Amino acid sequence: MKDKLIFVTGGGSGLGLELVRLAWGRGYRVMCTGRRGVQDLPDDFPDIPYLCCDLSSQQGAQQAADWALGQSHGRIDCALLNAAAGYFRPLVAETATSLSDVLALNLEANMILAHRLAPALDGGTLALIGSVARKGAAGMPVYASSKGALDGFGRALAEEWRGRACVRVLHPGPIATGMAARAGRKPDFADRLFLSPRAMAHCVLDAALARKGADRQVISYGRVLFHPARLLRRGAT
Amino acid sequence: MGRVLITGGSSGLGKALVDLCVERGLAPVCVLDIDPAPDAGDGKLDWVFHDMADQEAAPWAALSETLQKKGPFDLVILNAGINATGRFEGIPLATHLSVARVNLLGPLRLVHMLLHAGLLAPGGRLVLISSLSVFTGYPGAASYAASKDGLASLARALRKPLRKSGNISVQLVCPGPMDTPHAARHAPEGARADRRIDPARVARQILELPHGRFVLLPGPGAKLAAVAGALFPQIMMRIMGKVLFARLK
Ligand SMILES: NC(=O)c1ccc[n+]([C@@H]2O[C@H](COP(=O)([O-])OP(=O)(O)OC[C@H]3O[C@@H](n4cnc5c(N)ncnc54)[C@H](OP(=O)(O)O)[C@@H]3O)[C@@H](O)[C@H]2O)c1
Repeated sequence: MKDKLIFVTGGGSGLGLELVRLAWGRGYRVMCTGRRGVQDLPDDFPDIPYLCCDLSSQQGAQQAADWALGQSHGRIDCALLNAAAGYFRPLVAETATSLSDVLALNLEANMILAHRLAPALDGGTLALIGSVARKGAAGMPVYASSKGALDGFGRALAEEWRGRACVRVLHPGPIATGMAARAGRKPDFADRLFLSPRAMAHCVLDAALARKGADRQVISYGRVLFHPARLLRRGAT
Repeated sequence: MGRVLITGGSSGLGKALVDLCVERGLAPVCVLDIDPAPDAGDGKLDWVFHDMADQEAAPWAALSETLQKKGPFDLVILNAGINATGRFEGIPLATHLSVARVNLLGPLRLVHMLLHAGLLAPGGRLVLISSLSVFTGYPGAASYAASKDGLASLARALRKPLRKSGNISVQLVCPGPMDTPHAARHAPEGARADRRIDPARVARQILELPHGRFVLLPGPGAKLAAVAGALFPQIMMRIMGKVLFARLK
C-alpha cells in the first residue's frame, strides 16, 4: 500500500507543498506539477518528478495530464487537484482576462485533468480541493463561483464514477499559506486564526485516502484542530 | 418596471420570458442571442446578436457600446445556457468547456460588463437562471452541474454587495425539468413530458418575484426535491444516479 502513487497539482508552494511533503514523508510515491520553475522550489523539496507548467491554459492542463499519465505508467492511486488562485475584490474590479483565467485554473484545468486521467484513476481517488468560499464569499465572488462550480462538478462525477473510482470534493477553511494576502485581502486580526498548512495537509490527505467518506466534505476548524496527528504531537503540526 | 435584458430568448424559458414581457407591455425587450431574430418582432424586440461564449475582447466591447444606448436595465435575466448529457468521459472535452463558457464564464463577463458600464439600474433586479441540480446534484451532466453551481455561488456572493451599492436584488432561480426543447433533448429515455413544469408558468413566477426574495424554486416538485437534497445530499445524489444517470447510458 505504501507504493501508492500520489499526484498533486500546485505542489511547489502552499497547501500543495505540504501535501507533497507529507505524502512523501509517509512513504508514498509522489509526483507533482507547479507553476514555479525548479530553481524556485524550496531547498528541502523532495526528490520527486516535478513538471513546471501553467494550468490556466488549456494546453498547460493537457500537458500536465499527459505528463502525469506518462510518469505513472497508466495508474494513479490518488490525484489531489489543488492548484488554484483568486482575487479578493468586487466583481467590477476584475478584468475580462482575470475572469477567464480564474475559471480556467480553478475549474477547467480540473475538468481537463479528470477527463484525461479517468482511465488511470480506475480504482483510485480523485480529490478536488475546493474552498468554504464556495458558499458565496462576498469578498471574492469570482473565486467563490469557481469553487462552487468545482463542487457541482465533483459531486456529479462522484456519482458517475461510484464503484469504479472515488471522487471527493474537499473544502478547506482558511489556511495560513499567504493566499489570502496574495489575493489582495488586507491582513487583520482574523489572520491569526488561519489554520496551519501542515495540519490542513494532514486532514486533506487523510480525507482523500480514507476508504469511506462523503462526496463533499468541509475541512475546517473542527476537523483540523481535533485531528489526531495534532493532538498526539503538539507543536509538530 | 422599466427596461428588460434577457439572454437566450429564442426557445424554452427564455422565449416564455420574452413573450410574457411583451404581453405585459415591457417592450422593447432587449434580447442577446446567437439565433436570428424572430420575424414577428414589430419593434417589441430589440434583438442583439451575441455569443456568450465569445473569448475575444472586441465582441464584448461592441456589446457594451450597444447596450449603453439601450440601458440601464431594471430587470436583467441571465437565462442562456446549454447542456451536455452522458458519461463525463464519453463527452468530448471541447463540449464540456463550451458548456462552462456559455453557462458560467459568459454570465460572469456580462455581469462584470454591466456593472462596469453602470447598466444595472438602482432598485432593479439581476436574475440568474441556475438549476435544481444545485440542490440535488446532476450525474450525467457534470459540466452543466458545474456551471449551474457556479452561478448559484456567484448569486450568493453578489447578493449583499449589490444590495448595498444600488439596492439591486440578485435572485437565484433553480427550476427542475421544464417542458422545453432543452429538456426533451436531455431527459433520460422514458421520462414523461407531462411531469415537467410549463416554462410559461416559471416565467410568470420570475416576473412576479418580489424584490426581497432570493431563491425561487418554481413548482411544488422542485421545492420538495430541493428540501430533500439539502437535508440528505448523499441519498438524493444516489437517487439521481438511479433515475437519471443509469438511464442515460
Ligand atoms: N489559503 C486558504 O485560505 C484556502 C482556503 C480554502 C481553500 N483553499 C484552496 O486550497 C488550495 C491550495 O491553496 P493555497 O492556500 O496553498 O494557495 P496558494 O498558496 O496560493 O497556492 C496555490 C498553488 O497553485 C499554484 N498555481 C497558481 N496559479 C497557477 C497556475 N496558473 N498554474 C499552475 N499552478 C498554479 C501555485 O503555484 P506557485 O506558488 O508556484 O505560483 C501554488 O502552488 C487551493 O485550491 C485553494 O483554493 C485555500
